[in-house]
Amino acid sequence: MSVFRLLASRILFSALTLLLVSILIFLILEALPGDVATRILGRDATAKALEVLRSQLHLDQPALVRYFQWLGDFVRGDLGVSIATGRPIGDVLGPRIVNTLLLSLFAFAIYLVLALVPAIIQATNRGKAVDNILSVITLVLLSLPDFLLATMLLFLFAVAVPILPALATISEASTWLETLRAMVLPAVTLAIMMAVYAIRVLRDSLIEVLRSDYVRLAELKGLRPRAVLFRHALPNAIVPALNVTALNLGFLIGGVVIVERVFSYPGFGTLLIDALQLRDIPLIKATVMISAAVYVAANLVADVLAVLLQPRLRTSR
Amino acid sequence: MTMITSNPARQLFRFNAGYWRATPGPFKVGAIILAAHALFAVIGTFWTPYGFAEMGAGLPLSGASWQHPMGLDQIGRDVFSRFMHGAHIVLLLAFAGTMLGMVAGTTLGLISGYVGGWFDEITQRIVEAMISIPFLALALVMIIAAGPTLAGEPVLIVFVVGLVYAPRITRIARAAAMEIATREYVAVAELRGEGTWSIVFREILPNAANVLLVEFSLRLSYAPILIGALGFLGFGIRPPTPEWGLMISENRNLLIASPVTVFGPGLGLASLVIGFNLFTDGLSRMLGQRPVMGA
Repeated sequence: MSVFRLLASRILFSALTLLLVSILIFLILEALPGDVATRILGRDATAKALEVLRSQLHLDQPALVRYFQWLGDFVRGDLGVSIATGRPIGDVLGPRIVNTLLLSLFAFAIYLVLALVPAIIQATNRGKAVDNILSVITLVLLSLPDFLLATMLLFLFAVAVPILPALATISEASTWLETLRAMVLPAVTLAIMMAVYAIRVLRDSLIEVLRSDYVRLAELKGLRPRAVLFRHALPNAIVPALNVTALNLGFLIGGVVIVERVFSYPGFGTLLIDALQLRDIPLIKATVMISAAVYVAANLVADVLAVLLQPRLRTSR
Repeated sequence: MTMITSNPARQLFRFNAGYWRATPGPFKVGAIILAAHALFAVIGTFWTPYGFAEMGAGLPLSGASWQHPMGLDQIGRDVFSRFMHGAHIVLLLAFAGTMLGMVAGTTLGLISGYVGGWFDEITQRIVEAMISIPFLALALVMIIAAGPTLAGEPVLIVFVVGLVYAPRITRIARAAAMEIATREYVAVAELRGEGTWSIVFREILPNAANVLLVEFSLRLSYAPILIGALGFLGFGIRPPTPEWGLMISENRNLLIASPVTVFGPGLGLASLVIGFNLFTDGLSRMLGQRPVMGA
């Protein structure tokens, strides 16, 4: 029962957070100088035309009314019309989100391997040369800005040793294999950027778990080391890393902007940058709101998973 | 002999040397890297081999040579001179932005953690909302909202870094304040009749210093990356100011013709962040804090 209440309150707080995000975004963009109607119609537009457009966009109404209108439309799934292209934002966003989702899933799969394998190697060889070398590599990668890492990988695998395409410009005409090949470099960049954060946490928590009594007991009752590691130690060591993974999802949304930009991948991130460059306010609002919603949802899922995976947390409240 | 050992200057020096030897390895390496960067930045402020905006310093795209260790860009500007001149810009922006975030975040966080109640509740909800917006998106939206007159100005970048950092620092400061608020000396101060401000800044702040120092160092490590990313995306400092992220972005289409123009500044930026990270790692170990990862 208490689990239920805990989950309900978490969900409620997430909704409240998103409501505040919407107010924040609205307020920040309200400060944007310049008249939207003039921007759409150009400087030569007649006063009459400007007025008509303003009333069409509800710009003649007070900010409070416009906020609730926008919020109401947004919640009902009507994201409005992009100023730059004149197309409904839902139509513009849809394919971009699918592309980014594909890229993120690919990156996430690589991330799991890139985070788990070094952490396991380090924890089981603690203090040895392998551990130290991997620590140094992790630290160096942690210090590399994402745009630099992306550029380096691009240089290595598309210019110096041209085995992968430099531009990830996929379209509906591309075959599955082409799409996959195009996604390798951006996905690997994202995966490395996320993994370096998780490796350290995983390593430390795995070392802690490996020293615990139940792992010793499992060893003493004669289980094979592999069984001890994968059945007893790893599941318990993963819980602290869950939080990092949720944080990483937040990073992924930001990182996607840079990485997609470097490889010209037609995803959500490039759309956000385009919207910002064109001062396309409805599109900016929609993209930022969605990215915040993804972050909040990821944290919610991580919280719930942490509760479900760790009995101690279940009874704490 | 006794004269020499009792010489105050000498004692101070020996004290420092002993202190230095006792610091953890990462701290030493980090401090040396950072000192080298600081020295480089100071020299670069006053002297560079060529002017940072001087076109025709040599043959464009002629690659690395002794005269031009980082090569020349498309319009014949010496990349090393630009890199050198940019060093103090990157350091100053990172430091000022982080400092602003620290002052705002610490003040808000400590008060919110100590006072509690509805003030804390409201602050936390706003902080939560600001953290939910991916920091790069938040920074970019704020830059757009500032409008064209402020675009590309250093003040705007400092302000944006500060605003992106403040909610994250608020969270850390609040947690520290809540823990410290339960200690006896705070209760004693309350009984003495000290005011809220006095308790927050005289009793809690000095005792939260370790946590905040590590947090400052951690945020400072990430600031050059954030500023570089803004420059890289074309929303940072206005050209021709040689901010490193902007330089990497400018020279990126020369990647095939002259890769050194990208990797020179890239190496500089990476080494700076490595220095900061090692320094933070060592500092947190020295102060008995666990380094907190994640942006």
